[in-house]
Amino acid sequence: MATVTVAQVTKNYGAFTALHSIDLDIDDGEFVVFVGPSGSGKSTLLRCIAGLEQIASGMVRIAGQDVTTVDPADRGLSMVFQNYALFPHMSCRANLAFPLKTEGVEKSEVSRRVEEAGRLLSIESMLDRKPAELSGGQRQRVAIGRAIVKEPKVFLFDEPLSNLDAALRIKMRVEITKLHRQLQNTIIYVTHDQVEAMTMADRIVVLRDGQIEQVGTPHELYFHPANLFVATFIGAPQMNLLPCQSVASEVGKTTSIRVGQDTMATLPIPNVELTDGALTLGFRPEHVEFEKPLGDSVKLKLKTDVIENLGAVTNVHGQVLITATDEVDVTVSSHSQAVFEVDKSIPVWIAVENCHLFTADGTALPRDVEPPTWK
Amino acid sequence: MLKGKLTSLVLNFLILAVVFVMAFPIVWIVMNSFKEAADINAYPPVFRFDPTLENYKVLFDIADAEASSYGTLKVEFFKPVINSVIISAGAVLLSLIAGVPAGYALARYNFRAKEDLAFFILGFRFAPVLLVIIPMFQFFQAIGLYDSYFGMIWVYQLITLPMIIWLCRSYVEDIPVEIEEAAAICGAKRPQIMLQVVLPLLRPGLVGAALLVFLLAWHNFALGLILTAEKTPVTVALLKLLNPGISFYPVVSAGLVVSMIVPIALIILGQRHLERGLTFGALK
Repeated sequence: MATVTVAQVTKNYGAFTALHSIDLDIDDGEFVVFVGPSGSGKSTLLRCIAGLEQIASGMVRIAGQDVTTVDPADRGLSMVFQNYALFPHMSCRANLAFPLKTEGVEKSEVSRRVEEAGRLLSIESMLDRKPAELSGGQRQRVAIGRAIVKEPKVFLFDEPLSNLDAALRIKMRVEITKLHRQLQNTIIYVTHDQVEAMTMADRIVVLRDGQIEQVGTPHELYFHPANLFVATFIGAPQMNLLPCQSVASEVGKTTSIRVGQDTMATLPIPNVELTDGALTLGFRPEHVEFEKPLGDSVKLKLKTDVIENLGAVTNVHGQVLITATDEVDVTVSSHSQAVFEVDKSIPVWIAVENCHLFTADGTALPRDVEPPTWK
Repeated sequence: MLKGKLTSLVLNFLILAVVFVMAFPIVWIVMNSFKEAADINAYPPVFRFDPTLENYKVLFDIADAEASSYGTLKVEFFKPVINSVIISAGAVLLSLIAGVPAGYALARYNFRAKEDLAFFILGFRFAPVLLVIIPMFQFFQAIGLYDSYFGMIWVYQLITLPMIIWLCRSYVEDIPVEIEEAAAICGAKRPQIMLQVVLPLLRPGLVGAALLVFLLAWHNFALGLILTAEKTPVTVALLKLLNPGISFYPVVSAGLVVSMIVPIALIILGQRHLERGLTFGALK
């Protein structure tokens, strides 16, 4: 069972603390993605698990075994690096064979497994070339091949796709997902790209400033973000935020809010206790409707500014007037083929079940909604 | 079009001029080494003459002393060449053994006063050798290293080691650390990583660096002059050719040509290794 447990892991670089007492449990065969902006500590956490960084305190367990002080070589891991880190002086075949040779695997077995990995990744024809003779995508495949020949307990990926162009990235994304389905290994994958995280992960770990903001399935992160940071980090274009006030609440059931002077709504968000009336209303661009929905909704007036027509989707950037002087930038997405005009004021609605509320310190109020079946 | 041709004509002419300035002394020395004593001092200088191998025969003491136009001088030039090869190659080898790990450490590890130490090592390159040579002489005589290969190889580290350390440091810095980390994750231990990954990647650079410091060691003069008597390097042996006080320039020229052969041969052999850049392209 290749579980990975990180317990109370702290990592310092001099006076700077890169990881603050991280706790995390990863199940056998799970595909976990660490996501966060640069400097969030996601790569550092991965490197601590790999043993490439020494931790200041805490414990790392792989497959139930404490590996905190174990050499990277002996942790039973494979890792794919952002810059591939292939051995430039060796042929691709020798690159793939390297992890097996260090383990002292028999020669015939080495060539069998190298051939097998080559077939799996469709790089058989390139095995005798040097890495410098390959394209970026091919090198990435060789790097992945070098990781899988070892048949490791756990795979680590450190931003493996960020050096590839957009089209290739999507292709490799699908291939890695398929590979995981085939091999059923535990995978820990680091990326700053929330789309990669959402599309590939069984579970996502959102990190910021060396702390875990939220751990959950893509579904949970999208529908129940724990705080403002996760809410705005997951989803593109990002969630819109408007200041609002709580006006009356049926404690434990709903929260009534006022946006600006005249918009009132009652949201299905059980309110524990609100001392301060100032809240933040959040709604995703894709949840904005241009016709009044059947149920309760929040109605806003949007002044259109910039229209981006992407074919399948149209993004409308504009402002919502909160008070006479206070405007807030808002982005809405339309999947219909409706035509928008610049500098027009149009009414938009957000169904109450698609609204999020955040307290002044950024914590989300738990929503009492059943999201649509998804994924 | 015309302008382009004119530019290339001018540039070619300038290159020829530079080559002429740089190559002339060498060509002149080579010519002198085949001249007879009388032609050497001829004015105006002679460019057409009957070449003779006599100077080389004298140099290696092959010529029958009486037959030589220099009388009964005894010159033994072969041994200094061998001395220089032993001392220079030995110095380079020792520098590689000591300097590669040092350069690696300076490139990869952080420790207190690292930059000060690196600068201190480099400092040997711009400290004048004459500064240390007199105390060295006494010291070497006291501990019995005077006029020994080992002593010379050791003292030549002043010339070769700082260069090797600094060049090696920059070569290691060019190797992405992820390559070593990848090897570690692949199950390789430190010695394996060094022998199977780092050293092969450093090799082209190190061959170039070794060549460079070999040349520096080869043409060093002061250390050999003071610290040897019998085991003199070729540079000092050349000076000794001037001592007889007679018109010995043709033989000196021949000596110069011979002393150039080893470095030139090495440069020709090692030229392709001077192209580093094996590690580039592995990255992106």
